[in-house]
Amino acid sequence: MHRRTFLFSSAAAVAGTLLPRNAGANVPKPYSFDIFPPTNSREAFIGWMQSNRGENPNFLGLRWSRYEVLLRNKDLWEKRNTRAFLMTPREEFVLKQNLGRVYEHDFLDIGYGVTISGPHLVSRMTSTIDVKLGEKVLEIGTGSGYQSAYLSNLTDKVWTIEIIRPLASRTRGIYDALIDHGYSEFKSITSKNADGYYGWEEAAPFDKIIVTCGIDHIPPPLLQQLKPGGVMVIPVGPPGAQRVLKVTKEQGPNGQMTIARSDIYNGKIVPFVAFTKLEGDVIKGTHNQ
Amino acid sequence: MSLDRPGAPGLGLDIRPRPYLYLSVGLVAGAVIALQICIMRIFSVGSWAHFGSLVVSLAMLGFGLTSAVMCIAKSWFERHWHGVAAASLFLFGPLMVAANLVAQQIPFNAIFLISDPMQKWRLLENFLLYMLPFLAGAVFLGTVFLKAQKIFGRVYFADLTGSGIGGLVFLGAMFLINPDNLIVIPLLLWFVGTVLWFEAVDHRRGSFWLVACAALAVAAHFTLPDLLDIRKLAVSDYKGVAYARKFPDSARVYERASPFGYMEVYSSSYLHFAPGLSDNAAFNLPMMPPNAYLGMYIDGDGPSGIIRDLPPNETDYFRYLSMYYPYLIKNAPDTFVVQFGGGLSASVALKNSKTVTVAEGNPAVLAAFQGDKDLRDFTGDILHNPKVRVIDYDGRLYLAYTQNRYDVIDLSLADSAGLSNPGGFAIVEKFSYTREAMRSYMRALKDGGVLSVTLWNKEEPPKSVLKLYTTMAAAAHDLDGDISNRFFVAASYLSTATVLYKRNGFTADEVEKLRAHTRAMSFDEIYSPGLVYDNAKTAEVLDGYKNQIFFDAAPPGDEPKDEPPPDSPAEGSDPNQPASTVPATTMGQLTWDRLVHGGWDDIARSYVFDTRILTNTRPYFAAYVRPADLPRITDRLELFQDEWGYILLWATLAIACITATSLVALPVIFGWRTIFSHYPGKFRTIVYFACLGLGYIMVEVGLIAEFILALSNPIVSASVLITGMLVFSGLGSLVSERFLDRARQTMPIIFLAIGALLIGYGLFLDRALDFIGTFNYWLRLVFCFALIFPPAFLMGFPMPTAMTSLARLGKDHMFLWAWGINGCFSVIGAALVPILATSYGLSTVLIVSGCAYLLAMMAFFAVLLPLGTQRPIEAAA
Repeated sequence: MHRRTFLFSSAAAVAGTLLPRNAGANVPKPYSFDIFPPTNSREAFIGWMQSNRGENPNFLGLRWSRYEVLLRNKDLWEKRNTRAFLMTPREEFVLKQNLGRVYEHDFLDIGYGVTISGPHLVSRMTSTIDVKLGEKVLEIGTGSGYQSAYLSNLTDKVWTIEIIRPLASRTRGIYDALIDHGYSEFKSITSKNADGYYGWEEAAPFDKIIVTCGIDHIPPPLLQQLKPGGVMVIPVGPPGAQRVLKVTKEQGPNGQMTIARSDIYNGKIVPFVAFTKLEGDVIKGTHNQ
Repeated sequence: MSLDRPGAPGLGLDIRPRPYLYLSVGLVAGAVIALQICIMRIFSVGSWAHFGSLVVSLAMLGFGLTSAVMCIAKSWFERHWHGVAAASLFLFGPLMVAANLVAQQIPFNAIFLISDPMQKWRLLENFLLYMLPFLAGAVFLGTVFLKAQKIFGRVYFADLTGSGIGGLVFLGAMFLINPDNLIVIPLLLWFVGTVLWFEAVDHRRGSFWLVACAALAVAAHFTLPDLLDIRKLAVSDYKGVAYARKFPDSARVYERASPFGYMEVYSSSYLHFAPGLSDNAAFNLPMMPPNAYLGMYIDGDGPSGIIRDLPPNETDYFRYLSMYYPYLIKNAPDTFVVQFGGGLSASVALKNSKTVTVAEGNPAVLAAFQGDKDLRDFTGDILHNPKVRVIDYDGRLYLAYTQNRYDVIDLSLADSAGLSNPGGFAIVEKFSYTREAMRSYMRALKDGGVLSVTLWNKEEPPKSVLKLYTTMAAAAHDLDGDISNRFFVAASYLSTATVLYKRNGFTADEVEKLRAHTRAMSFDEIYSPGLVYDNAKTAEVLDGYKNQIFFDAAPPGDEPKDEPPPDSPAEGSDPNQPASTVPATTMGQLTWDRLVHGGWDDIARSYVFDTRILTNTRPYFAAYVRPADLPRITDRLELFQDEWGYILLWATLAIACITATSLVALPVIFGWRTIFSHYPGKFRTIVYFACLGLGYIMVEVGLIAEFILALSNPIVSASVLITGMLVFSGLGSLVSERFLDRARQTMPIIFLAIGALLIGYGLFLDRALDFIGTFNYWLRLVFCFALIFPPAFLMGFPMPTAMTSLARLGKDHMFLWAWGINGCFSVIGAALVPILATSYGLSTVLIVSGCAYLLAMMAFFAVLLPLGTQRPIEAAA
């Protein structure tokens, strides 16, 4: 690890541990889908976020740096996805001991045998399902809560299910604490502890579904609860090298439903995303350069 | 100078060669080997087996370290040998318990090995902790060897035999004791060995302290975990069983420890299985049957689904599984299921067949399904169904020699759920998928019979499925000239792939029926007779996959617009557009096109991974990264998480080579011009002992893998080989004493015989083992021991002959050093075997071992050079 990265990360980690958990910010201004942080410079972004969202400038700096790498990798496809990444405080959803690495490309342990995916995978996968304001999105596998928090910056209708009870409670607690501190966008997230295999029938149908847990087949109830024309994404494979399976549901002229499996690149082979290297706050090309 | 005979006047022994001495050495050596297996079991159950192999392999370097230190400080050890032996023995047992308890508290998590910089240090802590007891054991054995060097042959016999029997005792104990308490076995062996040691040296008061020491160690193992709320076997949160335990309604309904694995079965409404289920089932089935499965876990890995005895109206979903294919074209067939597993294949077969013959090579699985009342009730006692016949050994072996013929032979998803294994897969032998096995299946078909093989298809770029395709095509080519109408292949992206082979070929009607079903299920057609492959995509796919892994630069991107940039991956992401063919499907079609019509070799060379066929000598779904590409992946190891088992082998080999060489070099640095200055032929002596270390362990580890062919189970095979090799070599060591005076005449013959035997085994052993595998299990064991005996017995000669010669020539430093060189090169050899086996085959391992013994033959005479001369002595009578 480079000295600069180490110092910066350590400072962030120390700052993070000093913060009371789940109370990293007191949001000074009300949330709306119309507000958009400036993206013309790091300073402008950090300054705006501090005054509008009351967040820690160290983490904001790290978030900005990762944002630049995400752009370079084309993991953020549209402005609203950019906004969602920049507005979501990832540092609130990782364990204290991992705060120093919260914006690195790696997946991180969050306990219970569950990981929080790296920012590249989350961004690319979320870009893929192209969530629009007002669409209903279901997430299977709440985990850290970061994915749904990210989604709540794209739409005001998010449902999420976690199978592991203590993890579901912990994450719900994080949302509630953040809502208390002014993150009103997280009020859009409805969560429960249940078996995600059966989806959320009362809230169905959904425009988009994200499944972030391992399974040997796609649960039929989820396919049934997906709207015609809807999209489902499922990361497959070991963390760090996951491929994203994209499933689309179509209704033929005769009313017959069909399902198509594809990759999220529509038949293109694109390089894995993990190689873009960030040293401190500077992008240094790829790992093998 | 002359060589003394054992027991002759002037032997100058410091330890009286009483039976207690030999028993003590044997038991302590047995404790060492039992501890090795114990740690590997702990890693298998707690995290991932290959990390256990890494830790144990490197911990064995404790022997090399001890030898180097003893060599440099020989005179100190000679003066204080009594205290050193007693102290190391006192420490050995408590250190086992302490090292294990502390190591289990280290939050080592293999899946973060690359991403979290701390994890490397935690792995190192594991290695250092587990090395401690081995160091104590090594110091004791080294001290005994030093003081009893002139009767080395007998002590070595005790050492080897004790190790072998220690392995056997551990095997037996695995039936009775759960993995978290298996450490009591090496503790017990240590305790008895130490008591006998104090008898041997007439130090009976030591036994009193020993009892206190042992009581403390046992008490610590059993009480400290509860008192301190710590774990004596920490199961990773990322093991399959850890998830089952977290389900709110989960309950363990079966548990059994045995050498065939620690088997647990859990019930939970959260367990859902339908491997390879068509997505279209969602719109054509009223519902999936609830609570249809139990989850079976072996060593914490899984789950494999154990299917409930479903009423007919709940089995409609079978039709949507990829394993259903053969029943589309075979009506009421006689079916053979190659591996029972959790019973899904057998259930599908039972619903669609006239008779079902099902094989299962794991006795623990059969015992559970046939003996446990709850499991029998849950499964409707499927194995006692009148339509079902059970073969209690590998289906592969049965089909190779039976005269019975079948309409359908099914090998579906023999492994567990196939979910990604974040810690990587250990390198395990998959003899059921080799070219020889496929040939046996194809031959065992009736005219018009269908072989159906389904495999997980969850890799991108595809790896294991391509190996399956190439292997099945090679087997078919062995039987038929033209295979163009023999196969039908379908796959579902990131799900499963199914290969159908039909004896005498598919008819046009059958092909049409299979294609219609494939369309109805929304599966991808990979190959069917007459399918035309579009060659235009070939270069793009091959280059694309290479670039995907060995990508060199990211193009700079612009700030996102309101619409996706035209060259971004978002292009065409509109769900209303038809999805393109995924590259994995194109790659599969390309593969089959070339396998059937020729030209595959060129494609294989251009493909990003090694997809060579599985054979009985190279039975691995592993080693996809070509060795030449290894330096290029060091900065992107995360992408190869499922191959960490293989990559760790290289890491182990590299660390073993560096560490072993350093340890061997220590005495060179400190004593080449002083201690060893008057030792003639020292370089060749090093070569001699290096060859013995390398050769012996390579034979042992290589044969463990190869004997699975006959014994079907890696743990039984390891136990048989460890016991057989060591006990027979111990006998050889004992007998070698008689030939010591004629060593110059006899040893070349012995070496030649070993070389010839090993090379012969390399060339022909797999066929013999394949045949032995068809006998009753006890007979198989007898035959296996008979096969082990000739080389193992002869391989017991070279080490004690040379060591005793060194001792009697007064080359004491060389004696100690030689022991260390042997130990260090054993570690290198153990790490080298799986690498050689995956790249060049198990036969190569044996041939290389044979060559090592032939090389040792040439270096042997340097051992006999007396001090201060360059001429070999005449062995004196």
